Amino acid sequence: MYGVHGQALQIDLTTGAATAEAIPESHFSAVLGGIGLASLLLLRQCPERVDPLAPENPLIFATSPFVGTGITTASKLAVATKSPQTGVIGDSLSSSYLTIAIKRTGFDALVITGCTEAPSVLVIDDGEIALRPATALLGLDPATTAERVRAELGAAFRVAAIGVAGERGVRYAAISNDGRLAGRTGAGAVMGSKGLKAIAVRGTRLPAVADPRGLATAARDLATRSLGNGTAKYREIGTAANVAFFDRMGVLPTRNFQAGSFAGAEAISGERLLLNHHTDRHGCAACTVGCEHRYRTDDGGPATDVRLEYETLYALGSLCGIDDPNVILRPAARCDEIGIDSMTTGATIAWAMECADREIDLGVTATALPRFGDGASLLRSIEEIGTRQGLGDLLADGSRRAAEIVGQGSDAWAMHVKGLELPGYDPRKLQTLALGLAVATRGACHNRSSAYEIDFSDRLDPNAEAHARATAAAAAEDQAAVLDSVTICKFLRHIFTDLHEEAATLYSMVTGLPTTAGDLRRAGERITNVKKLFNIGQGWTREDDTLPPRLLTGDGEGSRLNQVWLDEMIAAYYDVRGWNIDGTIPAHHLHEIGVTGLLPAPLH
Amino acid sequence: MICLSIESVRLFPRGAVARREMDSVVAQSRELGGVEIELFGVPRLVAGERSLRVAGDTLAEAAADLGVRCPELLGTVLDRETGWLLDGYIFVVDERFTRDAGCRLTPFSAVLLVSSVAGG
Repeated sequence: MYGVHGQALQIDLTTGAATAEAIPESHFSAVLGGIGLASLLLLRQCPERVDPLAPENPLIFATSPFVGTGITTASKLAVATKSPQTGVIGDSLSSSYLTIAIKRTGFDALVITGCTEAPSVLVIDDGEIALRPATALLGLDPATTAERVRAELGAAFRVAAIGVAGERGVRYAAISNDGRLAGRTGAGAVMGSKGLKAIAVRGTRLPAVADPRGLATAARDLATRSLGNGTAKYREIGTAANVAFFDRMGVLPTRNFQAGSFAGAEAISGERLLLNHHTDRHGCAACTVGCEHRYRTDDGGPATDVRLEYETLYALGSLCGIDDPNVILRPAARCDEIGIDSMTTGATIAWAMECADREIDLGVTATALPRFGDGASLLRSIEEIGTRQGLGDLLADGSRRAAEIVGQGSDAWAMHVKGLELPGYDPRKLQTLALGLAVATRGACHNRSSAYEIDFSDRLDPNAEAHARATAAAAAEDQAAVLDSVTICKFLRHIFTDLHEEAATLYSMVTGLPTTAGDLRRAGERITNVKKLFNIGQGWTREDDTLPPRLLTGDGEGSRLNQVWLDEMIAAYYDVRGWNIDGTIPAHHLHEIGVTGLLPAPLH
Repeated sequence: MICLSIESVRLFPRGAVARREMDSVVAQSRELGGVEIELFGVPRLVAGERSLRVAGDTLAEAAADLGVRCPELLGTVLDRETGWLLDGYIFVVDERFTRDAGCRLTPFSAVLLVSSVAGG
């Protein structure tokens, strides 16, 4: 097989042992690479019901066959671990040169277990590993940490690092690589629990591809098409373009989902930001699109220049009732510096803001509470989360745990699924996404579900019956799994005439494995089942597939979402998936879709 | 349908003010005939307008008239030859996404023009 090394580097930080473990060709053809590979390695190696912050929980970094081939947007790094935030699979994807560096080491994946005796930097130099002391780096933000490590080891090293939040066990701490974040579900806290402040990687060996000439032509064609209308929105405005349109459609979550439109939406819209705050545009490693837009403050206060995506804009903006871009940009920058997921941060603070409105006792004085529309209290809360001080210690565990601790009925407005806070799409008007969020394996994630695409299109009748909607939701989820695994950026999905057909051709050119569109579709389904199987082993139950109670009060007028509607949709989804009515997976189904052979031991 | 021109709303009115202005424009539009197309994202940037009022009983006619009133959209959002949407863009008519050129419009239709690439 071409395009891969066929092995993972297993590192036990407790013993210092590093071994090469073969990854059979059959595993790549089954789950492709990227998120699929990381999920499979996690399923195979993570003990059931393990404490996510225990040394036994593997922290996995996986590349894909496409990494390093010149295929635009393919330099995506999959990170998977058992999430300390949700207790189920925590899989993240980010793009950076670190991905290419890891693949150059001669391994397709890193599997890190154990714990160091003292804070350390894990150095992987062409497959050789070493631990270096990191005490002097503690407390530094990820970017400065990376700078210091590269200054010491050499600029050829690429660095993944955590901020103070990862050191302090904030359950939604991120891992930063080249400024790109494996942001959601708390992989940074797992890295911190292992005693790692940073991972520095350098390598020199990329595997050959099967058809270099054909691939070069196809990659050039893809790069050309990546500059067309299908990506214009991302290039010209960026994901911030969602704000004004979502507000107009009534799906812009506002004040902790108490409304779907925001009076200040135009002020924080992507179009407005472009005029008044825009500084620059960048692309990820090996990307021709360049969707990353940077913005700066203009109010005469402390100057801030930061990359901003829609999800951060929503979470720190409308969700917290903030309508001043300057007041959003500074907290956004602090989230990156502290090393936390801005989405969960904003959503958890919004939960606390609503608690404050409702005079719920959060164990601090009223003046210490964050308030809707109050940027100073938003910023203060973020600082406290990073260091787990004051109210921050409660908020550092996310809205689900915070509501469990506080009680007083506050779980009614904790806006999460499986402990992961909702993205910036109000599901009350997006029915397919509502189902997708309820059943998604990592919790309320628009990227893993992708079902919003159905709602924002003419592909499904708004009055479609449950089975049709469930079929669409499952297909969107499986397509996302394919893109996250081969790896191609989802922002390219509209430039393909037939995504699966073209991706299969590319996969064949890279790996030499004859691959069809049908093979990729089946791989997508297989990957979804691998993730679900992992969750079941970690204690998932049917009750975990749900939506926050606030969203389930529809009576058919403004929203159809209620418990009866959701139960019907979930039952249809399980049926489409071939699962049991309780959401578990029949052994014969795992066999039929080719998962059984990927497992290390017989199913219980 | 008789098309009468009215002054476009300013590009970026704020929040609730924006909605009130738009409601006002739509109401005025209904009185005067024609249909208001609200622009979002790239179409708004290219046109330099938050909305434009056009003539047309169908989406095809409305799109063609949009290209006449705002030639900057031709080649970027609208096809130069046909006047219809290029790939990558879609209309929302009364909260339903559509690229159906024959979709009938009324003075009461709420029409949005957006990128068909949702989310991010």
